[in-house]
Amino acid sequence: MFKHLFKLIWNKRKQNFLFLSEILVSFLVIFAVFSLLTFYYLNYMLPKGFESERVWSVSYSRNAKTNNIDSLNIFYENVRRSLKALPEIEELSFTSANFPYSNSHSTTGFTYKGKEMSPINNYVVEDDYNKVLGMQLLEGRWFNKEDINQRSVVINSTLKQAMFGDEPAAGKIVGADNEEEKWKVIGVTADVKAEGDYWPAGKSFYKRLDTGSFRWVGHILLKVSPKADAAFESRLSKLLARIIQNSNTEIQHMEDTRESKNSDTVIPMIICITVAGFLIINVALGLFGVLWYNISQRRGEIGLRRAIGATGSSVSFQLVSESLLLATLSIILGSFFALQFPLLNVFNVAASVYIIALLLSIAFIYLLVIFCSLYPGKQAAAIHPAVALHEE
Amino acid sequence: MIRLQNIEKVYRTDTVETLAINGINLDIAKGEFLSIMGPSGCGKSTLLNIMGLLDEPSKGSIRIADQDITRFSDQQLAKFRNQKLGFIFQSYHLINDLQVLDNVELPLLYRSGSAKERRELATEALAKVGLSNRIKHFPTQLSGGQRQRVAIARAIVGRPQIILADEPTGNLDSAMGNEIMDILISLNKNDGTTIVMVTHDENMAHKTHRLVRLFDGSQVQ
Repeated sequence: MFKHLFKLIWNKRKQNFLFLSEILVSFLVIFAVFSLLTFYYLNYMLPKGFESERVWSVSYSRNAKTNNIDSLNIFYENVRRSLKALPEIEELSFTSANFPYSNSHSTTGFTYKGKEMSPINNYVVEDDYNKVLGMQLLEGRWFNKEDINQRSVVINSTLKQAMFGDEPAAGKIVGADNEEEKWKVIGVTADVKAEGDYWPAGKSFYKRLDTGSFRWVGHILLKVSPKADAAFESRLSKLLARIIQNSNTEIQHMEDTRESKNSDTVIPMIICITVAGFLIINVALGLFGVLWYNISQRRGEIGLRRAIGATGSSVSFQLVSESLLLATLSIILGSFFALQFPLLNVFNVAASVYIIALLLSIAFIYLLVIFCSLYPGKQAAAIHPAVALHEE
Repeated sequence: MIRLQNIEKVYRTDTVETLAINGINLDIAKGEFLSIMGPSGCGKSTLLNIMGLLDEPSKGSIRIADQDITRFSDQQLAKFRNQKLGFIFQSYHLINDLQVLDNVELPLLYRSGSAKERRELATEALAKVGLSNRIKHFPTQLSGGQRQRVAIARAIVGRPQIILADEPTGNLDSAMGNEIMDILISLNKNDGTTIVMVTHDENMAHKTHRLVRLFDGSQVQ
């Protein structure tokens, strides 16, 4: 029977062109939407890699009147001591601007055994940064006083996998070929999803903030105690205004910036799903119309099939099967285009994302076609053969 | 072979009730070639549809090939039509998107059998109607007479005991009509197939064993 149906469909390919095109376009749109959703979902399911609760960021403008490194060190050591003296502050760390959810990026590249890695997020942090964010160390150690004047780096799990696979990373030397650009890996941390819950951590490494770099730093991360409330925030703000004079300071709660960052992803995603939803409703109505029209054009054929031995249910089954066969032709063509994405590593997204999206799209299209063809198929089954044969 | 007892068919709408067939009793013997004549709207096609199990009578009973089909389910009726009956229509009812051979194979798709068997039976049926050289053609590439011969091949491919023909020569000129009639006579004579034919053509009707005339839904001869 399937060979017969395929022959019928093939011989009517011109009439079926509209149906085929409609399914193909819907399949590609659905594939794009599912790729996006799968990408976000898989990332969402990954651990965040740090604790953003009770972490506040302080941003200040760097307008110190001196460029003398020793004077700056004394100044910032004074800031640190003043903040540490507050019982509500548990940990603190000066940091480069690209701390989690900050909308600031700094990237670089590394080589290892001739293998080039880029882009790599480049974080400049202090010895207590991992404590502020509650980061998990997977291998080796975090920075300490031993790393003063040493070219030490801590890398994240993704970068470690990309560079060393399952080999231990601690003790390995990475960087460019010239000696000045070589770095020694001292530890590996769990991935930190710094761009929000729906984005991957990417490859990252952490460098220790040395005293010579304070002039470039304008951010402090604070881990505050549960007792830290709005009143404390107000006191903190006043204290910062007093100790970092002539500076604009801004305090933000990391949970708020996280929410805002997630909204940047979720809102376009909802818009995208809504638009795709409307498209699918239109496609479903279109399919319904095309199938309905097909049946009205084929009443004589349906009557004939009933006369020569088809039951009502086999007529219905035939029409649903024809639609599924047509959908299969479109899906084969659509899959050819869709498979180019993992093969060509488009957007640098894991192949598994595209494969899952492809399977979901195939299942969705089949369900859509079954849904749209069931009722017309049922109507076809109800056609009275004597009436249909008389009409011709 | 076919026994109709007190058959009545009433078409009802909300406001009108039309009596299409009124108390028809008819016995058709095995191997008989019967023609049904009458003016338009007298119930010929309705009677043929009832015999072909395409329509249900409002009253009365039908026995075909010694089986009372009155209480048959949709599935049983479909199986019965497929195995015992062959249909020929005035407007051929061929599927234009299928080649001649595929059109002839159609009834065999609704019963078990291999593709090879189906092909062989269809080729044989087409040879019987003299269309062996047209198996790869599409219906639109054939003349009216050739199309009706394809329809006959489709009707006989399943080797039914009964063929029901609704004005099989109605769309053809007299030469073509005679050709089709000769094929039907030969099927009746050589294979012993029982044939019931509705026609408007007296000449064709007189070539059959028996003529039944209807008028306003009742048998008048």
